[in-house]
Amino acid sequence: MKAVYGLYPDGQSAQQAVNRLRAAGLTDRDITVISAQPMEDFEFGRMDDSTWMWWFACLGGLIGMSVGLALSWYTATAWPMNVGGLPTFAWWPKLIILFEMTMLGAILATVITLVVSAIIPRKGQTLYDPEVTDGKILVGVEDPINVSLPAIETALSSPSGARVKRTF
Amino acid sequence: MTHPTGARINNDLIRPLLLTSWRFYLLVVFFGGFVVAGVIAWISQMYYGFGIAGLKWPIYWAFYVTNFVFWIGISHAGTLISAILRLVNAGWRRPVTRCAEVITVFALMIGALFPLIHLGRPWLAFWLFPYPSERLIWPNFRSPLVWDFFAINTYLTGSTLFLLLPMIPDFAVVRDKSTGLRHRIYRVLALGWRGTPKQWHRLESAMQIMAIAIIPVAVSVHTVVSFDFSMAPIPMWNTTIFGPYFVAGAIFSGIAGLLIAMAVLRKFLHLEDYIHPVHFENLGKLLLVMALLWGYFVFNERLVTYYGNGPAEMTVFWQTQRESFAPLYWTMVTCNFVLPVVLMGIRRFRTIAGCVIASFGVILGMWLERFLIIVPSLGHKYLPYSFGSYSPRPAEIVITGATFAAMALLYVLFAKFVPIISIWELKAGEHPSPALIPPATAEHRLGELHL
Amino acid sequence: MPRWGMAADLDRCNGCGACVVACHAENNISTVGAGEAARGRAKHWIRVERYWEGDFPDVRVKFRPVLCQHCDNAPCEPVCPTYASHHTEDGLNAQVYNRCIGTRYCANACPYNARFFDFFNPSWDKPLHLQLNPDVSLRMVGVVEKCTFCVQRINAARVQAKAEGRGVRDGEIQPACAQSCPSRALVFGDLDDPESEVSRLSRSPRGSKLLEDTGARPKVTYLARQA
Repeated sequence: MKAVYGLYPDGQSAQQAVNRLRAAGLTDRDITVISAQPMEDFEFGRMDDSTWMWWFACLGGLIGMSVGLALSWYTATAWPMNVGGLPTFAWWPKLIILFEMTMLGAILATVITLVVSAIIPRKGQTLYDPEVTDGKILVGVEDPINVSLPAIETALSSPSGARVKRTF
Repeated sequence: MTHPTGARINNDLIRPLLLTSWRFYLLVVFFGGFVVAGVIAWISQMYYGFGIAGLKWPIYWAFYVTNFVFWIGISHAGTLISAILRLVNAGWRRPVTRCAEVITVFALMIGALFPLIHLGRPWLAFWLFPYPSERLIWPNFRSPLVWDFFAINTYLTGSTLFLLLPMIPDFAVVRDKSTGLRHRIYRVLALGWRGTPKQWHRLESAMQIMAIAIIPVAVSVHTVVSFDFSMAPIPMWNTTIFGPYFVAGAIFSGIAGLLIAMAVLRKFLHLEDYIHPVHFENLGKLLLVMALLWGYFVFNERLVTYYGNGPAEMTVFWQTQRESFAPLYWTMVTCNFVLPVVLMGIRRFRTIAGCVIASFGVILGMWLERFLIIVPSLGHKYLPYSFGSYSPRPAEIVITGATFAAMALLYVLFAKFVPIISIWELKAGEHPSPALIPPATAEHRLGELHL
Repeated sequence: MPRWGMAADLDRCNGCGACVVACHAENNISTVGAGEAARGRAKHWIRVERYWEGDFPDVRVKFRPVLCQHCDNAPCEPVCPTYASHHTEDGLNAQVYNRCIGTRYCANACPYNARFFDFFNPSWDKPLHLQLNPDVSLRMVGVVEKCTFCVQRINAARVQAKAEGRGVRDGEIQPACAQSCPSRALVFGDLDDPESEVSRLSRSPRGSKLLEDTGARPKVTYLARQA
């Protein structure tokens, strides 16, 4: 992997670096930002603003509810048993099963969405520096194609306090 | 007051993971000993027969089911409190959420163990699981115990994930700060976490969704636990108030458990700079509110019974008010109402020590509350010929004690291997930008604390 | 389908306890020994409750045999997670021991305390172990057991009647308790047959159900004492 990146002491300088990279012709997709905490106070910290996670959660809830309904319906009718004069498929008690299964589905769907979309490492996205843990903010470019390396380095090194590194 | 930042947060919160003193081993051996004793008691109960417990006709539920309800109640500490604080974006939650969520997960594990311990044939417990079996018969979805199974399953899954997700970035911190075998282990646990804006954003969105999902689940869990009692036509069980009454009691005992855990962590892990008196103050106020709410529910329950004046109900009623269960009952009222209201209601007593004393009272009182719901009703069920009394025998006492030790042991081990305060959430709370703080919370900045 | 039920004439019951002994013998109910019995582990599928009225010396003693009431709305049935406790087609409240995992929820939900938990594996003092009834299964530790209205006798009579190409006659089936009652206080039969003795007694103005207000709709009618 070929990458250039700068380490910045605070959010302002990181924001400057991101702005200069954009000015140099890079898109947000090409820019990697890594921080030890959410940086939502800054514009670069909100590069990803998708909200479709809710839809997956709702979908998961629907699937869970259907599973709960199918399970309790099938099991009640597959071998009908008379207990205490209750109907074979008693709606009121089944609502509890439906509710729990809905919530379980929603929770699992949320976690699966998170893991698949954000946690499983992507190929070609392995840029990292342990100094991030100490509070540095990493701004860098992996495998630059369109823009030349020196241009990126200039952009990265211009904010105050920047330290630029390369990996080859 | 100093506010630790960046590198200092890392050092302070990872120190317990990297440095191990003899006290840790001593604690593990001490609590582990009790847990082993409890396991031996359970095995001998299976080996010799259930009769070595103190249960008898007609009191077929007692200590074990009390413990079950109690621990499931304690589990409401966490996820529910931390989810609510997360949703209302209370800044002071940050150092508290994880120790609360850990209580939830461990208390649920312990609580979910009791339906197994109390089973006559625990080796067949998997029959509650809806799987296609050679017996061709499915679980009865009309049984409150099956609702229990589903509710606890959802809650345990949800709260475990709710605890695990925000741990991933912290594992990444430990990965970067450690060497050798530890580094390799935490590298796996960190799941390749880097900390891109996308990852942070999705993690926070996921936590938001989970928080919204987990609150109704937590409410449903203790309601379903209360259904175990209110679905049976037994005097003083068959009442509609049990659902909210149990949920309030659960949150009540959960806050008490959380306060004790926080005080212990603060003292032994030297987290004075992170867990401040203001946290105890705030949770103490919450404890006061729940104590009042608890008193309100108990008054309702008792007054309706008293006014209805049914002979079966009144038998149980007087048992708890002035007959054999009266000493326990009035201890419960003192511990659950008088003590916390006095200690938490008077500002001067709302200190860390005051909170801890009140919390121990509430823990004892809430355990007694569950015992007094279960046993007097079963012992005085309609036909006077079949009245009975109950006293525990060694197996039950040892197993009950062992679960408290198990809670402590799991907590000690957890604090050893995972930063007990969420590092990244603490860092994220360091410098709140004015634009992100709604005006309402700006005045509630908790004095000097800009958490 | 018949609907099995019982009538207990409290005027006739003299509290002798023969029904209890007969039930133990018929249904292989293990005797737990004096120590365990004192601890409350005795299992009597039918028991004779004794109540005293008045102050000494003007004391009147009342007896009431209590057994599983085989309720139509049995509170013990829906609470069982494994269908160990359920309703059969002929209205019996059945307990399937093999399916029971021992939650004891049914025993708690029963208003009559008619269900019993096996705290230990069954054992009998010699020579009682030689008189076990081969028609009744033994119960292992950790399950709940209770009165079956002697279902083994019901089934045997039904098979016999079918082999002879007729219906089951009234009085043909006698549970052990009814059979052994010297004063004929217990009468068993089909409640749906208006001609049967039990349904005639159930309609008696003296008749009432035990704890009727719990809504369990029990099938045992108690005929109030007149003397």
